[in-house]
Amino acid sequence: MEEEIRFSHISMEFPGVLANDDISLSIHRGEVFALVGENGAGKSTLMNILYGINEPTAGELFVRGEKVTTFAPKAAIDRGIGMVHQHFMLVPSFTVAQNIVLGHEPRSAAVLFDNRKAEKVTRELVAEYGLEVDPSAEVRDISVGLQQRVEILKTLYRGAQILILDEPTAVLTPQETDELFEVIRRIVREKNMTVIIITHKLYEVMAISDRVGVMRAGKLIGVKNTCEVDERILASMMVGRPVLFDHLDKKGEPGEVAIQVKDLFVADNRGLPAVRGASFAVRKGEVLGIAAIEGNGQSELLEAITGLRKIEKGSVSVCGQPATGKSPGQIRQMGLSHVPEDRLSTGVDKVASVADNLLMGRHKEKRFNLFGFHQRRSTIDRYAQELYDKFDIRGAGIHIPVGSMSGGNMQKVVVAREFTFDTPALIISQPTRGVDIGAMEFFHTRIIERRNAGAAILLSSADLDEVFRLSDRIITLYEGRITGEFKADEITKEEIGFYMTGSRKEADA
Amino acid sequence: MKKRWIDLGYIVTLLISLAVALLIGAVILAVTGHDPLKAYGALLGGAFSNARHIGDMLEYAMVLCLCGLACDIGSRVGIFNVGGEGQLLLGAIFAAQIGVWMKGASPYLAIPCAALGAMAVGGFYAFIPGYLKVKQKVNEVITTIMLNTVAVFICQFLAKGPWKNANKNIVAGTENLPSGFWLTKLVPGSNLSTAIIAAAVMTFFVWYILQKTSKGYEMRLTGDNPRFAKYAGLKTDRIVLITMIVSGMMCGLVGMFRVYGAEHIYKSTVSNEYYFEGLMVAMIAQYQPVPTIIISLIFAVLKIGAMGMETAAGVPKQLYLIIQTVVIFCMAAETGIRAGIARAREKRAARQDVKERSKGGVEHA
Repeated sequence: MEEEIRFSHISMEFPGVLANDDISLSIHRGEVFALVGENGAGKSTLMNILYGINEPTAGELFVRGEKVTTFAPKAAIDRGIGMVHQHFMLVPSFTVAQNIVLGHEPRSAAVLFDNRKAEKVTRELVAEYGLEVDPSAEVRDISVGLQQRVEILKTLYRGAQILILDEPTAVLTPQETDELFEVIRRIVREKNMTVIIITHKLYEVMAISDRVGVMRAGKLIGVKNTCEVDERILASMMVGRPVLFDHLDKKGEPGEVAIQVKDLFVADNRGLPAVRGASFAVRKGEVLGIAAIEGNGQSELLEAITGLRKIEKGSVSVCGQPATGKSPGQIRQMGLSHVPEDRLSTGVDKVASVADNLLMGRHKEKRFNLFGFHQRRSTIDRYAQELYDKFDIRGAGIHIPVGSMSGGNMQKVVVAREFTFDTPALIISQPTRGVDIGAMEFFHTRIIERRNAGAAILLSSADLDEVFRLSDRIITLYEGRITGEFKADEITKEEIGFYMTGSRKEADA
Repeated sequence: MKKRWIDLGYIVTLLISLAVALLIGAVILAVTGHDPLKAYGALLGGAFSNARHIGDMLEYAMVLCLCGLACDIGSRVGIFNVGGEGQLLLGAIFAAQIGVWMKGASPYLAIPCAALGAMAVGGFYAFIPGYLKVKQKVNEVITTIMLNTVAVFICQFLAKGPWKNANKNIVAGTENLPSGFWLTKLVPGSNLSTAIIAAAVMTFFVWYILQKTSKGYEMRLTGDNPRFAKYAGLKTDRIVLITMIVSGMMCGLVGMFRVYGAEHIYKSTVSNEYYFEGLMVAMIAQYQPVPTIIISLIFAVLKIGAMGMETAAGVPKQLYLIIQTVVIFCMAAETGIRAGIARAREKRAARQDVKERSKGGVEHA
């Protein structure tokens, strides 16, 4: 196979961090190359070098045998490199065609934008690559999967021969993921393009890639033919030690209801209805998972239950006590802890120390205060250190600001604080978002531990695998309505996908 | 958060910026035909040459420090009290009038009454924007600025109308404070009175509460990330409102100190936008109590010294204002200077590292 890209001893150093450490790698024309690694392993940095966003501090980059000297996205695009970022860069109020030609618009009379020609070009592209999408539809009206397709078309319009996809399936349903993979296979097969996928979902690596490169702590640990490895081997390479994806041991029978939600209506930040009449109950000793595509009301739902958002209609009760209209503090008193979905904005005080963050909520306890107001720093530090060790938080100690820690460790701070309250009810949202595989294991074990100890857990996660792995029951949420309720072991991911996109259980029956 | 009482790096950068400012000032002085050394000598002389000047300087530092601390506590919970000037003026005029009303009473009764009155008025005047902020999400910067103007007019009305001094020569002012209520001067002839003892105690308490107590902890976390504080169960609205009121009470008390310790009458001159200078001090001090004290002292030296510079070295007022501004500018740049030094150091380290690495066989781009 012909060599398309060659990284030769590439190193990239940011102040204090060696993000890429002497990486040499060849990528062939016409292959799907998966780049895997934990957060902060340096995958994105390496791809940013290829796309011209970063200039390496040492080493050389060759594209089709030619040495790259100018590092700029524009130069990269000219070399036929296209990148689809995790967060789409589209103009919502523009049509598909307008978005695709943006930056290289066809013009009539030298200055005027030629919309007809733009749509024609788009249609030609759609036909050529078989990526079905309506050129005249506005981007804000089409699904996330189609938006991603528009992003891919945009790179193709600019003549991309090499396509970099950064975590492309993070926002997709299982069906959309399948369609994306179909598209990738087609452009590789028919157009002999080179596709590089950055991901951390190992089963996707197995499903789509020809070869896979594993990165860890800035180094390229190894490059393998996908057919010669399995998920377990890749995971161990990523983490640097054997990873046990053992079956989680769920014990005990569900007990009494701890979280009861009845006919709940909640509005989003713009005042539009986000949750429309949700009812469900979570019992002690079970995990109820919410499966939903982002933006379907799950965030608002959980905020309403925890008192962070106003309830428009309906009721919530926690451990038998009415929680509707109560403050977050009062609801905590009733016995509800909360691991929020966005730890940076809600879960921690970034500038405060790890110790201060771990203390939050307990700071009024007698043992931490002399005469009820003077903080006993030594007792607080001892308590914080205890949690720090118990939850295996790794960082520069309890006195540094939480904001300077990695996402996984920051999450450990949140989980350590919330789990230590030992409340009968727990709300956990996105427990492992941005957390690496090694730590993921840790969080899952902890969650099931709490479940087995008799806690009622309401779980929401964008990672469908996680919802399946942890939940006893699953409810699907679509546009603020519950579209189905299932036992986790009686349904497949594909089936769930249908309900996540609006099919109703009743309608199917 | 590192455990430290005073950050040495901070002091060093502060001194550097002060030196740079004085250097720029020297250039300006030289260009305009003054002898910089002589002028700076006069500046120091103005501030330190005799006890009276030192007293005035300390009194001014006290006012700046208390105003700065009032701003510090607000910023700790994430609000910006720009209305201290109004709270100060109202506190001053009410304190003065309470003194007038209580003429003949024991000072041990009158002075506490005046202090409480001033605090009540200042606190109430801060409650208004605080309440609007918490309940209606009205931006407190705008309301407090506007309420300053309102306060100025209220004071003018009172001082020219119902509470006007009988003396025709005083256009706007309350009756003179009965001399029995005057706070004892620590330095005769200066403005320095026993108020500074109360101020020192207050300063200590502000520092103590902010740094050492669970209330200060709650305030800090509320200011850092109100959403987190609310999520964790704190009553953030109440914390913000109470802090705002306390900030206003402090400002009101400063007004009372000005009347009882220095002016002995309410006139509009009890505050010459002192709160805004205090605000500047707080900002330069990055809202930290100990630096607020230090910078208040520096500002006071410059201000009182500048008067000496005008009389002794003949440097016109406008020029010392320029110098003062440059000093403020450079001290405000302290953060930038520090970040710059840190960045340069990091870059050097990174480059060094790469160099060493590339020596070990990696070819150079």
